[in-house]
Amino acid sequence: MITITYLTALLVTYFGYSFFFTFGKLRDYFDWWQRGNNVQGYAPICLGHEDFFMRRFYHRVQDCFGRPIASAPDAWVDVVERYSDDNNKTLKRTTKTSRCFNLGSYNYLGFGSFDEYCTPRVIESLKKFSPSTCSSRVDAGTTSVHTELEECVAKFVGQPASIVFGMGYATNSAIIPVLIGKGGLIVSDSLNHNSIVNGARGSGATIRVFQHNKPAHLERVLREQIAEGQPRTHRQWKKIIVVVEGIYSMEGDICHLPEIVSVCKKYKAYVYLDEAHSIGAIGKTGRGVCELFGVDTADVDIMMGTFTKSFGSCGGYIAGSKELIQYLKHHCPAHLYATSISTPSAQQIISVIKVILGEDGSNRGAQKLARIRENSNFFRAELQKMGFDVIGDYDSPVMPIMIYNTAKIAAFSRECLQENLAVVVISFPVTPILLARARICVSASHSREDLIKALQVISKAGDLTGIKYFPAAPKKHEEEKDGIK
Amino acid sequence: MYVRALPTTDVNRNTEWFTYPGVWTTYILILFFSWLLVLSVFNCSPGIAWTIVHLAHFTVTYHSFHWKKGTPFGDDQGVYNRLTWWEQVDNGKQLTRNRKFLTVVPVVLYLIASHTTDYQHPMLFLNTLAVFVMVVAKFPHMHKVRIFGINADR
Repeated sequence: MITITYLTALLVTYFGYSFFFTFGKLRDYFDWWQRGNNVQGYAPICLGHEDFFMRRFYHRVQDCFGRPIASAPDAWVDVVERYSDDNNKTLKRTTKTSRCFNLGSYNYLGFGSFDEYCTPRVIESLKKFSPSTCSSRVDAGTTSVHTELEECVAKFVGQPASIVFGMGYATNSAIIPVLIGKGGLIVSDSLNHNSIVNGARGSGATIRVFQHNKPAHLERVLREQIAEGQPRTHRQWKKIIVVVEGIYSMEGDICHLPEIVSVCKKYKAYVYLDEAHSIGAIGKTGRGVCELFGVDTADVDIMMGTFTKSFGSCGGYIAGSKELIQYLKHHCPAHLYATSISTPSAQQIISVIKVILGEDGSNRGAQKLARIRENSNFFRAELQKMGFDVIGDYDSPVMPIMIYNTAKIAAFSRECLQENLAVVVISFPVTPILLARARICVSASHSREDLIKALQVISKAGDLTGIKYFPAAPKKHEEEKDGIK
Repeated sequence: MYVRALPTTDVNRNTEWFTYPGVWTTYILILFFSWLLVLSVFNCSPGIAWTIVHLAHFTVTYHSFHWKKGTPFGDDQGVYNRLTWWEQVDNGKQLTRNRKFLTVVPVVLYLIASHTTDYQHPMLFLNTLAVFVMVVAKFPHMHKVRIFGINADR
């Protein structure tokens, strides 16, 4: 549940959108009237007003999204400067870059750039194995590094076996259709990622949505659906899979795993846990949300994750029982036909897992985990003291600052870039229409001084755009000083 | 003054904005401000201004709720391409609070417009026609009905 100020945030945002919508429609009509329809005989590329949002809303603020970078996504990153001659319809790159403090990359443990243990080993494996395996896993694309990686991941996550794919998004969208088909039921959290939504739609199963992170509503949906059965025939469902995420990347909140697992056990539904953001970032030894809550990994049937966030690599994995992984290896198209994960990337993941577990002989892994927790809690507390509306749970490295008004997100983003701070802003259609936000991702490689300077820049940008919706906490020792006078 | 916004379960981004608090108030405020705008631009009597607002409201809402089909986004893979906005709202469930509100607003506008023009002729006819079409289009029985194939898919 999010608390919004009624007048300044809600009504103003609605007025803003209806204004933009009206003007967008008027411009479209004039455009159509003047230009008419000159594609003789061919069907139009965009049906109806499918691209209306893209043209009339997104293109106005396009310079805040998709900024190219020219260095590794470390704590400081080189952002390429762009300019536009035609009012943001096209953006041209310049050769200048500006060095900005990076609060946008999912670089949770700081493995996003040169690392003293991982990078030499990756370069060695690049020289030995070459960048691509040029083949799918079943043909000639399985190297010793791939088998070592799958064992390593299974051991790290706490499941008997695992399977690794070359792309995180494709892991979800290719696995879900293999696991369930027509006659099955997928109950997914309302804020699940697009890859899960695509995979679910592609499977042909019936999809039902439960209110974000509410086990009570999940139970109600399950009871209703089990009682009704399949649509029209009312036969029993062939299987039921409940899909949840560890940390929701747009909200920063952690899923209520113990309650959800107990509800699923009660109604005999399978649990599919997507730990894209939580693996490696939360839990005492970085093993994700199961370790954080003390949930037995044997209770979670399918654990999925990606290597792009905490591991600084690419690809995704599925971990589960030996029978499940054996089945997937024989049936999943991403394993049978897609090119296997690049060998140096696989080596990066193995090295990162060794660092996290301390098997490289140092305690850098434990230090990084402690530092990311400290950094995220410090940053979140300071932002809330300044009066910003920050959502998300304590301990989560993702903290969205609510902005609500789309015009303000453009101003916030541009102001921060001018002060050399790279933040990611998100609005409709990725988030609900009212709840546009700026999302901060804290990393273990951010130092305390840099974070304090970033806080000052964010505070200034926040004052300029007026997004400090809550009263700031008073500074205690200054009040006492004034009192004495 | 703060409000709580519950996360919605509507996956259709074209209609989920209607489930948040503040929409009804904004709608009524927009109608009121457009009446003031019409009064100041055309310098006419309040009754004529309300008639103009009513008829403009009819045109705009008929076109956007009951004529245009699909969504302004490309990435929902066209699952809603045969449904108008009215048929997409609340996932097709009939007689919800949002639908009842949207049915009452044109009727209230009609009553205000007729009263302030003292039920005189050309305005009364046009207003009555508009409200009749509006309310019939919103009946639960008219869900996915295309009379005489008007606005049916190619």
